[in-house]
Amino acid sequence: MSNLLLLLILLPVVSALVCYFVRSSAVRSLTVVATGAILTLAALGLLGQGTFEPLAVGSILGISSDFLITVMDFALLGVIFFYGLKHKSLLIQGFTLAQAALLVWFEMVMIDHTAVPALVGDQLSLIMVLVVSIIGSLICIFAIPYMKEHEDHLHLKKSRQPQFFFFLLIFLGAMNGLVLANNVLWLYFFFEVTTLCSFVLIGHDATEVATKNSVRALWMNSFGGLAFVIGMMLVYMKTGSLDISAILAAGPQGALMVTGVGFICLAGFTKAAQVPFQSWLLGAMVAPTPVSALLHSSTMVKAGVYVVLRFAPAYMGTLLSDGVAICGAFTFVACAALCIGQSNGKKILAYSTVSNLGLIICCAGINTPLAITAAIMLIIFHAISKSLLFLCVGTIEQAIGSRDIEDMRGLYAKYPRTALITIIGILTMLLPPFGVLVSKWMAIEAASSNIYVIIMLAMGSALTVVYWARWGGSLMATRVADAAPEKQALLIRLPLTILCAGAVLLSVAAPWIYNSMLAPMFKVAPFTMSFGSLDAVTGSVAIVPLFIVLGLGVLFAVKAASGFRKTKIMPPYLGGANAEEDGTYIGPMNGPVPFSAGNMYLGELFAEGKLTPIFNALAIALIVLMLGGAL
Amino acid sequence: MFGSFIKKSRAKSPWIMHFDCGSCNGCDIEVLACLTPLYDVERFGVVNVGNPKHADVLLVTGTVNHRNKKVLKNIYDQMPEPKAVIAIGACGNTGGIFRECYNVVGGIDKIIPVDVYVPGCPAKPEAIIDGVVAGLGKFAQKVEEAV
Amino acid sequence: METLILIIIGLVAGPIIGGLIAGLDRRVTARFQSRQGPPILQAFYDVAKLFGKEAMVVNQWQILCAWVYMIAAAVSVGLFFAQGDLLLIFFVQAIGSVFLVMGAMAGKSPYSQVGAQRELMQILAYEPILILVCVGFYLVTGSFSIEAVWQLDQPLLAKMPLLYLALGYALTIKLRKSPFDFSTSHHGHQELVKGVLTEYSGPYLALVEIAHWYETVLVLGLCSLFWTTNVAWMAVLLLLTYMLEILVDNTMARMTWRWMLKRVWLIGMGMSVVNLIWLYAG
Repeated sequence: MSNLLLLLILLPVVSALVCYFVRSSAVRSLTVVATGAILTLAALGLLGQGTFEPLAVGSILGISSDFLITVMDFALLGVIFFYGLKHKSLLIQGFTLAQAALLVWFEMVMIDHTAVPALVGDQLSLIMVLVVSIIGSLICIFAIPYMKEHEDHLHLKKSRQPQFFFFLLIFLGAMNGLVLANNVLWLYFFFEVTTLCSFVLIGHDATEVATKNSVRALWMNSFGGLAFVIGMMLVYMKTGSLDISAILAAGPQGALMVTGVGFICLAGFTKAAQVPFQSWLLGAMVAPTPVSALLHSSTMVKAGVYVVLRFAPAYMGTLLSDGVAICGAFTFVACAALCIGQSNGKKILAYSTVSNLGLIICCAGINTPLAITAAIMLIIFHAISKSLLFLCVGTIEQAIGSRDIEDMRGLYAKYPRTALITIIGILTMLLPPFGVLVSKWMAIEAASSNIYVIIMLAMGSALTVVYWARWGGSLMATRVADAAPEKQALLIRLPLTILCAGAVLLSVAAPWIYNSMLAPMFKVAPFTMSFGSLDAVTGSVAIVPLFIVLGLGVLFAVKAASGFRKTKIMPPYLGGANAEEDGTYIGPMNGPVPFSAGNMYLGELFAEGKLTPIFNALAIALIVLMLGGAL
Repeated sequence: MFGSFIKKSRAKSPWIMHFDCGSCNGCDIEVLACLTPLYDVERFGVVNVGNPKHADVLLVTGTVNHRNKKVLKNIYDQMPEPKAVIAIGACGNTGGIFRECYNVVGGIDKIIPVDVYVPGCPAKPEAIIDGVVAGLGKFAQKVEEAV
Repeated sequence: METLILIIIGLVAGPIIGGLIAGLDRRVTARFQSRQGPPILQAFYDVAKLFGKEAMVVNQWQILCAWVYMIAAAVSVGLFFAQGDLLLIFFVQAIGSVFLVMGAMAGKSPYSQVGAQRELMQILAYEPILILVCVGFYLVTGSFSIEAVWQLDQPLLAKMPLLYLALGYALTIKLRKSPFDFSTSHHGHQELVKGVLTEYSGPYLALVEIAHWYETVLVLGLCSLFWTTNVAWMAVLLLLTYMLEILVDNTMARMTWRWMLKRVWLIGMGMSVVNLIWLYAG
């Protein structure tokens, strides 16, 4: 057991050092693949062993692990402060100094330094470990050929891959540590490590835009760190404990403690790029695709929602809970609206990510067993589908040289496999019976008791259909009968295929995932499982029967469509004026005139520039209300 | 069983597309008059769809000229089988009084195969409806010939 | 099992009822316009004729999308007859709508592309209302399941009148009636030729038409749930609603998507919210 935990948290650190110091790309690739494989096995092994009670981590090399963490904490704050100086950012310097000062006070004066068991593994932690280890490993493996192509494209003389993979792997270890932490100071440490990794990786390409965006990410996340420290201190003042399990078991304990939890939730909000903090995530899209896929959709931002979800029992039934739900729902609908005005593929994925994170936070705020189930299922399925889509966009970008969805029109003609996987990915995010939609169904059913939330969820749900359907539709096209097969590196094809298959198969297995992992979490489980359906008093979803029926239907449709070369193929209707060349018609001067179509981005209503200030202002108001409500 | 129902339905649901190949609009107005409540061809199941891909019967008016003969051919090709073509008016049948003009091809049957000729200048709505019904009779013939 | 029999009844009866409603619709519309109109079985003749046409496509995705649209619509009606979860039924029906849009976007004609975008606007307009109607059901009966509605002793219309009016907006959009028929319409020419359906033809257009019948049955079924205590009154409600739809169709002109979004979101959502507040308070 403790070996597995050691592997999960420390092996990536060792691998990261190997990648950084050994400058051979073959060794690097081997290390990454091996680390990925071992992490996956370790995570599965941990799942097999089941949940475990809080576990003390003794000394490492003779030094108390708590002391090590404290020292590294201050070192980390020092490093961030140094970067703040380097980039002349007063915000970073200010937030870091404030954190350091408060931390000193906290450590020296407030805490009584009793031993706290540092690691714990309940169902939520184990699920997060699986998500981080398996999806993270697949993304790191994808990054190997991707970064090679990326650097060839940029004509870099000196490869920057060593430090890229260093931070990528360190990040995996930090995430594992974060979700397994039981000592709130350890949680804070790992939280800050992810901040640093994100900053470095966003600025990886070292262009002016990248540097600016990485600095923005750093100050926003530092603000989150500051909120975390304040929250930590307020909670300690009332509960006198650093032990998360103990804090959660005690439940809400008065206005001061709940406000502290509120500040911790605020830290989660910044990490998860909720409105008004979403601009750092949008700016982070300049980073190479593996960074976007790993940090900014499937894992790091999940750390933010993990924090909110983890502390949910501590604010159950309070006004803070309602506040969290409303803030989350507002982000859900605001970012769905902002998505409509976007044609940049990565920005669409980014806004969609923030939107779904808002939904998870909203479920955490609703705080009923049904809602918590919805939140956790959404974490799992969103991580898979969104990382798949990011990897697809990265692959497409390297193939066609653009990330604008207008340039991806008719992609199926030239890159059928990638286009098909992207379409399947989009469908898994949007439609039943796939996991993301089933979770959304659970979320809406759970949120129906709160009128503000349900109105926002209804509108957000409608908006999501628009931006996914138009992207999926534009990828479809005809492929010429004897076209050359699509070429793709093995280490790119493998993660794409595994994630795609995983998204579909795990959605089928959702009832069993619920039954084995989530139902034991609750005293009164929200669903009962029967014949592959999940039934509750409020409603039931027949997942497996739907899969069978719809699956057979789709197979039939595919078979019907595959015989299409026997049907007559005609050009589209253009008033009878089709010209010989595809995509043109005979125009006024008797010559061919090309025609094109574009998506409606509804700029007059949904332009990013117009909506963002309004949404930011509303969100700040809601957060202030939330924290005030806690008091 | 379904086959005979489908055959019967072809006659009961003719969807028309109307194309003007250079007509003076006299015949076009008469065609449109058929769709009005006074003559009401919808009681025969006739619907004026504007899209050749949905149409069974192509109603063509006007002489064809060298500019729009390509368009006429294109629209005819875009109609799925079984289909019928009805040439309406003197101009559509033979080119009418414009037959000798330099730009006129002179009659629709010079470009696409015509099934029914409806004479008149302009053709009366009753004659047009009669022509459509005659064209429907030809559907059954065509399908049997194709088989 | 009983559920299976109900599903089969739904799958078979759905298109038959839908086709008859479509035929009746055209006949009554014709009477409103002082003319005779086609026979009531006309819709079935149309679909049969379409099946007998030559198969012709622009690309193979249209075939796939037409089939999936019909299958999804059929499954949603089957689930409805099986007394399933209303929210789930709504989402399954949405599968069909999404595939219709994607199939239209696959064909490169500008008419079908613009039609597809307009169809997305329509979905954007009616989805929130349908979700809020389902929430209304939950607030009154305590469950999203249709079975719970049959346990009531008072018709839902008494408690959710404004939600019913808002549902009317969604019904008008789903039935493709003026003023909301700008993505495609039953009548002939429109400025986009046939909009979203331009490139579908022959058997695939027949599939889309059958899917439309299933959707009609689904939304009318949803309306019928508003008066479950007395079958006679349920029939009167449905009849009056449909007549009102035909009247609106014949008296209003086709409007733009901006007009629709503004109306449906402000008035439709506004009414829904007010009704929901009544339900929460009560």
